[in-house]
Amino acid sequence: MSKSNMADTFSTVVVRPDFNPEKYVNELTRKCIGGQELQQQRQKIQSLADETSVLLKKNVYQNYMQFIETAKEISHLESEMYELSRLLNEQNSLLSSLTTMSLLGDKIPSTVESEEAVDANQVDEEKEEEERRRKLAAVLEKVEGAMAILEVPGRVLLHEGTLMELDPMDNKPIHQIQAYLLNDVLMLATWIQNSRGPVRYKFQTTYELGSLAVVNVRDLGGLGDSLFKLLAFPDTRVFRCSSAKLKREWLDKCDHAKKSRLAQEQQKRDNTATADRSPSKLAKSESLDSPSNPFEDHNDGPAEPELPEWLVEMPEDLDVCIAQRHFEDAYNLIERARDFIDKNCSNHMSDPVIEEIRRKLDARVKSLIEVLMKELEVSPDKSLQGGLRAARRAVRLLNQLGRSTQACDLFLKLCTSILKVQLKRVKREGATVLYVRQLGGIFFSNLTDMAREFLRAFPNSPNCASAFVGWAGSELTHLTSHLIKQVFMPQSSISTLAECVTCVRDQCDQLCELGIDLRYQLDGQLRTPLIRALRDSREKLVDAVKLRGAEDKWHPLNLQNKAGLTKFIQEMSDIGIASIHTYVTGECWINLTSNTVAFCKLYLALVEDCLCLATAELLYTIDEVLGDVFHAQLKHVEASLKNDKLRSESKFIQKNAVFLLDTLLTIVEHCYEEKLGHKCTRLSSLQEEYAWIKKEGPKQLINSSKPITKYSSSEYL
Amino acid sequence: MAKKLNQQPALHKVIMVGSGGVGKSALTLQFMYDEFVEDYEPTKADSYRKKVVLDGEEVQIDILDTAGQEDYAAIRDNYFRSGEGFLCVFSITEDDSFQATQEFREQILRVKNDENIPFLLVGNKSDLDEKRKVTLAEANSRAQQWNVPYVETSAKTRENVDKVFYDLMREIRSRKMEDNKTNNGRGRDKSKRKKLKCVIL
Repeated sequence: MSKSNMADTFSTVVVRPDFNPEKYVNELTRKCIGGQELQQQRQKIQSLADETSVLLKKNVYQNYMQFIETAKEISHLESEMYELSRLLNEQNSLLSSLTTMSLLGDKIPSTVESEEAVDANQVDEEKEEEERRRKLAAVLEKVEGAMAILEVPGRVLLHEGTLMELDPMDNKPIHQIQAYLLNDVLMLATWIQNSRGPVRYKFQTTYELGSLAVVNVRDLGGLGDSLFKLLAFPDTRVFRCSSAKLKREWLDKCDHAKKSRLAQEQQKRDNTATADRSPSKLAKSESLDSPSNPFEDHNDGPAEPELPEWLVEMPEDLDVCIAQRHFEDAYNLIERARDFIDKNCSNHMSDPVIEEIRRKLDARVKSLIEVLMKELEVSPDKSLQGGLRAARRAVRLLNQLGRSTQACDLFLKLCTSILKVQLKRVKREGATVLYVRQLGGIFFSNLTDMAREFLRAFPNSPNCASAFVGWAGSELTHLTSHLIKQVFMPQSSISTLAECVTCVRDQCDQLCELGIDLRYQLDGQLRTPLIRALRDSREKLVDAVKLRGAEDKWHPLNLQNKAGLTKFIQEMSDIGIASIHTYVTGECWINLTSNTVAFCKLYLALVEDCLCLATAELLYTIDEVLGDVFHAQLKHVEASLKNDKLRSESKFIQKNAVFLLDTLLTIVEHCYEEKLGHKCTRLSSLQEEYAWIKKEGPKQLINSSKPITKYSSSEYL
Repeated sequence: MAKKLNQQPALHKVIMVGSGGVGKSALTLQFMYDEFVEDYEPTKADSYRKKVVLDGEEVQIDILDTAGQEDYAAIRDNYFRSGEGFLCVFSITEDDSFQATQEFREQILRVKNDENIPFLLVGNKSDLDEKRKVTLAEANSRAQQWNVPYVETSAKTRENVDKVFYDLMREIRSRKMEDNKTNNGRGRDKSKRKKLKCVIL
């Protein structure tokens, strides 16, 4: 303990900045007595030194680890930077190749700007031209006397390099040459010895690519594979590149430049080709005459003096517009071209140049239409995010191009898929009615939107409108068949159905304000399942009536207490039986059987549902259902009256019968008439058929000498 | 200049002409390297040079193997201008290539302006005799009409390959000697050739 303490103090002493080893040792020796103590002190110092060296090692190790980690980090970063710069370079080369491409593709060097072309294109062209000049000038600054190269518009530098010219006779090197490959000429410049300024080369000559033969020297008696020859009469010049690869590059670049130049010339010739030039003749004149043949130039000249340049370039411009998805521009250009052709060229229909342009124009129109149709096409990997709004542009342009039918077709297909996607999102959970309401809501609100969008996209077009109506019909069929599957199941009650159907009907009616009435179709499609459902519920109810009738003891209903009575009266008057209080006897008795009361509730609910569902086509079934169910109840009453065992209860039975006929049936008939505007013949006939029960009633009433009950009860009340 | 020429063996410039695919390159390569290349790759314009012994004298042959398909007539003219003798090749299995020789001949004469330019009509692919479309008689009669020799070769079997090159070189050499005699080696005088042309006409 004390040792470590001492060591501690010792270490603090040592660490102090003004620590003087000699002084410290002196002090120690003065303090210590005898060799042993000194030995101890020495050991202490020794251990401290060991400790320190271990610590030092640890520290170094730690630093080293950190260093390694940092180095890793840095190399990682470096590789990232490298990747980034590579990507940027790639982008850069891509962009530059794009610019050269467009320069080569669009601008024919010898074309002179047409005075007529006065649109934004020209401004762009001028800008491009400026840019190109600037670039080329920067390169050519190094070449003395080369500024004349810039005079020709549209020139671009394609390749540049240093070559060694050899003597064609003995293959000895002569001098270094700086060679520039432009898109139409090859320029050679000699090196200026001892040059200090920016000008390093001296212009020597240019060769037209169209007449310069570039020959690959495969073998020049063992001089290697890095030579090529230029044959430009009367010169034959041999050049050596620094490697075979560079030579290949030169040859390929020259060949490419020549080809694109040829393609341009060909295109120009195509554009201006006259009809009397048959292909064979063309081939011959080409093979025999040089392109610089004045006769040929002359031939080209007068063929199309009146055609403006924009028209000649129109097919290519259209391609560009379509590729860049500037569909409106493309359409405008098409219109302009059509206008021009119609106005200026109607007098010479057979003019092959015009025919050619017209043919090209038609092809472009076709491809534009194809692209637009593709836009509208529904494919699984295409997002429907934009919805119909996204389709507006394509539809409008297709309409303008006179392709309304196709546009309409595709538009409706798009609608179908949007609708499908929307409906798929509705999950069936909770009450059926909620589900149906949601489904119907989405369906009809989408349909409304689509109808609006459709009317906007295809105004005043009866063909398309009828297509839309047809489409809406088929979509509705889909919906109803889905609903029928989902909702019309044996276990679903008629009241649920009634609610669902009413809900869908209401939503459907909202479409009417846009002039689309699908109600009839909806009802028509729902009719069969509804009839089935109605009949099913009739069977069920009739069965229920029979079942309850079998158990009927013909006892008045006991509601147990006053509160029960009040509640019951409230309930009954809520469903329309306001006169129920006349049947109350005593504290809590109702002078009707529980069967009658239950039937009354049931029947009124059925009537309500039926009346909700009622349409002209369903009326027969509804009458049938209402009639049959009521009839079943009356039959039960009749059977009970005729039953000898129940003779004692006949008065009470009759009372129930009177209630059924006078109160319930009358109310139902009233409701029916109110809702549908005419009497229900079936119910009226029931009323007549069973009128005897009421009439027989008083007779029996007198016979059984129990007339007072009724009156007394009412008196009592 | 003269010194240089003396140091260097005489150089004879031969041009291979003919339609695409008739075997110009195959003939050239067979002559140069004794090899037959099966796969066809259209030539752009290749040049070869080789030292050969012609009748005991060391000379250099410079062969320009031209493209059968050259779009620019001006470039073709430059090829022809650089040549001293021509091997006009066609394939005996392809009549079109034979017909095309007519055009090549006309172009060469136009460019060189010389009826008697060293020129050989070469019917290549003689190994494919069973596919022959151009008869020997046809070819011979055309050669006679042009007043040039007709030789059938096979780049594949090397039949007559050396012969056509050496025959042409001999023609070129004799032409040069002739020219040197009449013109003292300086300046080109076409009057003699024109005279000849007139004789033929």
